[in-house]
Amino acid sequence: MKRSLRTIAAFGVAAALVAGASGCAANKQITIAFVMGAESDPFFQAMKVGAEAEAKAEGVKLIWQGDASHYDVATEVPIVDNVIAQKPDGLVLIPTDPDGLQASSDKAVAAGIAVANVDTHVTDLSKVVTFITGDNGDGGAKAAKAIADKIGYTAGKTYQVVVGLTSATATTNVARLEGFKTAVAQDYPGIQIMDVAYSASNPQTAATNVNNWLTKYPNLSGIFAIDGTNASGAAAALQAKGLTGKIALVGYDAYPANVALITSGVFTALIAQDPAAEARLAIKTLVDYIKNKKSPATRDVVIPNVTLDAMTSAADLAKYTYVATK
Amino acid sequence: MTDSKQSVSVGDRVRSLVGNQTSLLIVVMVALSIVFTAFSNGTFLQTSIFSNILTDWGSLILLAVGQTLVVISGGIDLSVGSTVSLSTVVAGFVLVKVMNLPGTIHGSDAWGYLVIAILVAVLTGLAVGAVNALLINVFKIVPFIATLSTFGAAAGFAIIISGGMPLQGPNDFALINPIRIPGIDVRTFDTGLLSPMVILMIVVVTIVGMFLHKARFGLYTYAIGSNAFAARAAGISVKRHTAKIYMLSGALSGLGGFYAYVRLGGGSPSSGAGMELFAIAATVIGGASLMGGVGRIIGTVLGTLILYTVQSGLLMVGVSADWKQIVVAILIAAAVAVQTLQKKNGAR
Repeated sequence: MKRSLRTIAAFGVAAALVAGASGCAANKQITIAFVMGAESDPFFQAMKVGAEAEAKAEGVKLIWQGDASHYDVATEVPIVDNVIAQKPDGLVLIPTDPDGLQASSDKAVAAGIAVANVDTHVTDLSKVVTFITGDNGDGGAKAAKAIADKIGYTAGKTYQVVVGLTSATATTNVARLEGFKTAVAQDYPGIQIMDVAYSASNPQTAATNVNNWLTKYPNLSGIFAIDGTNASGAAAALQAKGLTGKIALVGYDAYPANVALITSGVFTALIAQDPAAEARLAIKTLVDYIKNKKSPATRDVVIPNVTLDAMTSAADLAKYTYVATK
Repeated sequence: MTDSKQSVSVGDRVRSLVGNQTSLLIVVMVALSIVFTAFSNGTFLQTSIFSNILTDWGSLILLAVGQTLVVISGGIDLSVGSTVSLSTVVAGFVLVKVMNLPGTIHGSDAWGYLVIAILVAVLTGLAVGAVNALLINVFKIVPFIATLSTFGAAAGFAIIISGGMPLQGPNDFALINPIRIPGIDVRTFDTGLLSPMVILMIVVVTIVGMFLHKARFGLYTYAIGSNAFAARAAGISVKRHTAKIYMLSGALSGLGGFYAYVRLGGGSPSSGAGMELFAIAATVIGGASLMGGVGRIIGTVLGTLILYTVQSGLLMVGVSADWKQIVVAILIAAAVAVQTLQKKNGAR
């Protein structure tokens, strides 16, 4: 009895699936799968908001997938394989490793799925429709400008600045630091980068580094806190020492708590990425490609980072602040 | 040992109170301070540097003390860092999301809310410790794996509860700032060394130290770590005492989470990232043996101090950040090597 019920149920599900599939074909509703790095990362939370909005606007079905908290190739590969098995029309992939996800990307293309890369990319981009990323180097340059503006940079004078990093190898950190250094060398040669230190993702360590710098460099003019963790730690250290607004502090990533500290003057500026815009553009480009079979004019698109400061309108602040979806 | 008979009793008393390892650690501390002062053209020798070191010390000491208890009992607690992250986030969540308090409440207006934060943080830590005890006692999972599981779970919950972003709550940053003697100009002499939070940590460490070295609690802890079978035979409820130790370690880490809250002005989901390794390092530098049965709170207090003296000192001297972890690694290896040599000499 039980067994026959199960058989009937299985047939029912299969029938429903067939009906669903044919229904899709008739309505031509496009399904786009989106596989990102780690659900818990605010960056991807903000990306999800953009992806959902664009999917709704385009009338496409969105399959949002990714590991809960580990930005890891080992967990991402099986997720991508699973998603390919669902036969979506398009796949937006954020490869956690350029080589590690190459096979999965090729497999999707072979199955007739249009693939886009966002934020990071697979090694061989030749079969990928589009690659959209934020410009971290440009973000670093913007940070240099924000610090120079705050300290009233005058040619011929020298200023001491330090940079708080998370690690020596995080690719975003490296790109931002390079952009910062290049801009300083070109436009603000009087700014001396005295030291860099690592926080290893711990905001308490970031605060420690800032405390020690304040003692070592009594004439410190500015701090570039290269990501959200360093921004939080540096902001706390300056507030505790009563140095709010006295030292130029430029942070990265628009966490709500940090955006609130722009208004109170703790942050001179925050450089923000626009993950929502990256997601919107990726979905739009894929839908275009699937409907019209036309490749975008340029495959690689770079979305600039934005500077948020006291002059930024409340509407823009709200627009770029990372939001958690639930 | 060859001193005259009169001084033996005094010398022995001092030795039993301080121990060889402790005098060695103090020598290391002084030597490090001299080296850093020399190589930093004297900039290391400033009140504000020692105040910075003590602020860092405060962030780790409770985790290290909890770890010391666990290590003396023959176990290990890998969950302490994640417990900091979770407890600070839960405290932030209660104040910011449940009570809807803005992060703009500062100064003494925040004190009442900070009392709530301290309770929430300690209870959260206690809960993690209770889970550890459950996994070890009831499910018979070895401490390394049991606390590795809670390490992962607590870190995960910290991210889920906070949405991966810091929760800015009511705070009084003056609590983490060193207290200065009024009337003395900072430019003549900076008297700011200890902040109210660091003083609180010193008080808690003293109480735990007395529990370990002067009370039955400590006797049982050493007994279990030296020989659990013998301890059981002597009538000690090993299970119950082990549970107490892990719960105390959890509660202390929870209080460490409160420290992070005050220091950062809210609950940050990665506040405790990597701190379990520092806690173990401080414990080992302080002379505790991972084989159990050996260790002193004063050793851990100095071990933690040495760890952060090195961190601050290297930055002041201008050693690149990349070299820092190598120096710390050498320090840990040296500490263990010294212990082994001491044991060998003792055996001879």
